[in-house]
Amino acid sequence: MNTQMLAVIKKDLRGITSNRRMVITLLIVPLVMTVFLPTVFVFIPYLAPEQGEDFRGMVEMLPLAETGEGMHKSMIRLILNYILPVFFLIIPIMSSCVMSASSFVGEKEKRTLETLLYSPLSVKQIFTAKVMASLLLSMSVSLLSFLAMLVVLETETWLITGSIVMPDGKWLIIMLLVAPAVSLTAITLTVRVSARAKSVEDAQQGAAFLLMPVVLLLAGQFMGILLVSAWLLILVGILCALCGIWLLKKSMYGFQYEALL
Amino acid sequence: MEAIILDHVGKTFSCGKRAVDSVSLSLEEGEVFGFLGPNGAGKTTTVKLLNGMLMPTEGTCKVFDMDPAEEPEKVHACSGVVTEHAQMYDTMTGLQNLVFYGTVFGLNAAESEKRGRQLLKQMELEEAADRKLSTYSTGMRQRLSLARALVHEPRILFLDEPTSGLDPESARNVHVMIRRLAEEKGITVFLCTHQLRYAQEICTRYGLMDQGRLLAEGTLEDFRKKQGSGITVEIEADGMPEGLACRRITPVRFEVRVRTREEIPEIVQRILTAGKRIYHISSCQPSLEDIYFALTKNGKENREEKEL
Repeated sequence: MNTQMLAVIKKDLRGITSNRRMVITLLIVPLVMTVFLPTVFVFIPYLAPEQGEDFRGMVEMLPLAETGEGMHKSMIRLILNYILPVFFLIIPIMSSCVMSASSFVGEKEKRTLETLLYSPLSVKQIFTAKVMASLLLSMSVSLLSFLAMLVVLETETWLITGSIVMPDGKWLIIMLLVAPAVSLTAITLTVRVSARAKSVEDAQQGAAFLLMPVVLLLAGQFMGILLVSAWLLILVGILCALCGIWLLKKSMYGFQYEALL
Repeated sequence: MEAIILDHVGKTFSCGKRAVDSVSLSLEEGEVFGFLGPNGAGKTTTVKLLNGMLMPTEGTCKVFDMDPAEEPEKVHACSGVVTEHAQMYDTMTGLQNLVFYGTVFGLNAAESEKRGRQLLKQMELEEAADRKLSTYSTGMRQRLSLARALVHEPRILFLDEPTSGLDPESARNVHVMIRRLAEEKGITVFLCTHQLRYAQEICTRYGLMDQGRLLAEGTLEDFRKKQGSGITVEIEADGMPEGLACRRITPVRFEVRVRTREEIPEIVQRILTAGKRIYHISSCQPSLEDIYFALTKNGKENREEKEL
């Protein structure tokens, strides 16, 4: 990574943060997922006692480690450690798609890509810089969303139960390995799609398909909890990271000036 | 040292279109070369070939002894490119754009800013330095593009229609700037244009392209000699002596064609000796535009003959 590539990364990030529409698009989904939905889940027993009973049934079937704590606290633990982690696959994919879809095709539309290609940076360096910018942004959004979720959820838990529920160790694996790995794969695929797309919308629509498997996983989590061990999570994370790196290398070699103009 | 060498370079696109057809030419360092031709002549494709954006399907090209197909980044490091399709960021100010491109070309932030301000002053854009590019007029954008191409002090400038879409005054200003750059800094300029009048004012040598082929290459004098069109002398007189080959335009205006300037006093002498009175006399040589149209017309006729 040299200063020239850093300049491209900074420019790409500034391009996103200075665009109010883009910032709103980036923040609205994470806010709903990490602040609004957890709040709804926490207050379900109060807001809709019948649905609360369904949750209670689900909690009773699960081998949750702590026993002796109240049913409400167990439900919050279930939400925090089994349902919310899936959101942290959606958030990095979504935020990286928004940025990377506009990275190549956005520059192509605004006729700025050609100017960048006339620079002494190789097309591979430009590609890497754009992937890095998207990765940085998606990781920042994920981290901020995680912190916002923790603050809101713990405050609400404390208000209701008088104590807090700690996130389990799997969160560490999700935030440090799975989310970046999924993000890298999503970015590389989106940048590939966006380089061939005719408009930003085209690229974003293409990238939206990436969310399909995660949406299915989320639906599965709501219908019946899939218990994933830490080892399996690490394995999934490593596989995703390897897949991302392989795709990145493959995409880089396929990038030629002639194909981009 | 030769700044550019094109050796039988050809480019055929995958769709079968032959955009450049065996073009060979060379440019010395410091030359201002006018690459002229109508739309679709292959000028932009040649610029892209010289910058490694396109791969030649035959032949080789060199820019300061570097092959753009092999080392495009090295060629980019010593060249500045202005094309209609190479725009800058609308959301950034003029200065921010120049600082960004300066950094991308390897200058540090302080150097980029210093150089950016210098160029903005040179391009008379000082007052617009902190305005977003979206508020710039076409002429201002074009001047900023020129500043961007110069930010890293390149040895060669590739300018593809740098005055396209500009009003005559702005176009003239840009051309004056190009000439000044070439004279003061010794930068080699490869100028693609169809504004022949301006090209004649600033270029030292020309290449005339049509349908991907290089029809002619040389200085204006070379073209005039090759054309053998000589000088046209327009005379306003109350008559012409017998035997003097001329064309009558009006009853008192005549056109005489001579090969050299030295023939003009002899003609004047003959008219006066014949007792005629001269009211006005002027001479003109064929302009670049005249030669260009003559050559493109010849090229078209030759192609039609071949097709038949």
